[in-house]
Amino acid sequence: MAAPGNDVFFATAAELNARLIKKEFSAEELARAFAQRLEQLGPRYNALALSLKEQALRKARAVDKDIKREHLHGPLQGVPYAVKDLLSYGGQPTTWGAKPYASQVFDHSATVIEKLDAVGAVITGKLSMVELAGGGGYRFPSASLFGPGLNPWDRTRWSGGSSSGSAAAVAAGLAPFAIGSETSGSIVTPAAFCGVTALRPTYGLVSRHGAMALSWTLDKLGPFARSAEECGLILQVIAGKDGKDAGSAGRSFYYTPQYARPLAELRIGFAAADFADRPDAAARPAFAAALDSLKACGVQLVEARLPAFPYGALLSAILGAEQASIFEPLISSGRVDELADQSQIAGLKASLEIPAKDYLKAMRVRRLLQEAIQLMWGELDVVVAPARPGIAPKVDQPLSPPPGAAASANRETTPRSAPAGFGAVIPAGNLAGLPALVLPCGFADNMPVALQLVGPPWSENTLLAVGKDFQSRTDWHKRKPPDA
Amino acid sequence: MKLTRRQLATTLAPAVALAQTAAQPAAAADDELQAARNRVKTNGETLAGQAVPMAVEPAFQFKA
Repeated sequence: MAAPGNDVFFATAAELNARLIKKEFSAEELARAFAQRLEQLGPRYNALALSLKEQALRKARAVDKDIKREHLHGPLQGVPYAVKDLLSYGGQPTTWGAKPYASQVFDHSATVIEKLDAVGAVITGKLSMVELAGGGGYRFPSASLFGPGLNPWDRTRWSGGSSSGSAAAVAAGLAPFAIGSETSGSIVTPAAFCGVTALRPTYGLVSRHGAMALSWTLDKLGPFARSAEECGLILQVIAGKDGKDAGSAGRSFYYTPQYARPLAELRIGFAAADFADRPDAAARPAFAAALDSLKACGVQLVEARLPAFPYGALLSAILGAEQASIFEPLISSGRVDELADQSQIAGLKASLEIPAKDYLKAMRVRRLLQEAIQLMWGELDVVVAPARPGIAPKVDQPLSPPPGAAASANRETTPRSAPAGFGAVIPAGNLAGLPALVLPCGFADNMPVALQLVGPPWSENTLLAVGKDFQSRTDWHKRKPPDA
Repeated sequence: MKLTRRQLATTLAPAVALAQTAAQPAAAADDELQAARNRVKTNGETLAGQAVPMAVEPAFQFKA
């Protein structure tokens, strides 16, 4: 058996598993290669929270024994991966990216880690994140215990938040796949900025047991990977009923591309303004070309728009009230002042003052919003929009203006008024619990940009089918940063 | 004193983050808090303007 070469770092999980089964190299050798790379290059992107190299080697040796006995557990067996430091790993620090929790240790591992462990995937480390997943609203990319997430495509730019390390690690070939989380935008944004395929599952499909809670009714976990197909394989493993998560929908997921509807039957909603007017000028050609590639898949593109709701206000009230209850001990103790970002500190403190009537009103309007979006699915199967209207911002620039400069929220995806088309699809999709697939679709100023496909609840297989076809016609998801 | 890699990371990470925080413009904490409170107030006003029929229950379920 030869040691793994550098070609493994950008291979897919399925390719790595096939090579393990053919005994081109051992799981232990593969785990060592990835764990070392994560340790060595993770700090270059402020992506590494904790190396689990010794645990990885131990697990990989057990996997090698299973493979030798032909006890095979599917395409993730022996494949290294890493998780956002919002997930607990028994006996090891789980910081939630925040100084007040720097020495926090749980005695149990998150359900998603246990599920991946059960199929023989090998965890190599934990990845950086914006402190407390950014729920208070942060102004600077440096709002993290680990420093600002640096983008593998240009380290002077941000890797996005709050799953900063998960996106950067996959983009830089530090892990074949990673797990991140989204409350509103925390998978979509870093995946788009780093040029990585990622999936935000339907609310309730993936257990959050062992994950930091930010908002019980909005939080979701999902994969960052090398392709839509890989996202499907990973989702199949991590989805499923879990009595330890009160929000668990009790559903499983089976990735079944063979049963996908013919793409010619699919009606995909889009707004021309989202592609022609709203994006930064440099990104418009890439988005226009991406729309052409999508048309080439044979789908029907239909002009549409989101129903009108105050998405930003709804999201802020719900997330704010739920996080206030979750982090009340932190805020009331004064330790909230140990966080890195002043805007985040202020947002958490102010969230304690959200009146109950506002939270309940927001949750009632959310019901109307769900019904309105459900009606939209009578006309459409999927909607498509730019994942972000521009490229990753410079890491030393504020993400929002200082107090008094503008009356806008600094939470990454909460516009005050809904822009035309699907400009508010990130808060809208999260409020309605909808799945989203992020597909890299080109470059602007040498930085990646991406599409997001959003569908009805439980439509992951449809999104993945469109994504798989799109990625069979493009190679944006295969590009790698020049110095990675 | 010999430090393990993990101890070193735990020791250095907050220092790095604090150094980066120090580089941020020194917006007064009071101004930040007032701005956050204003956002809460504005959100409340926006929500107050939304008409919701009495029968519409909040989007969470209590299960007995």
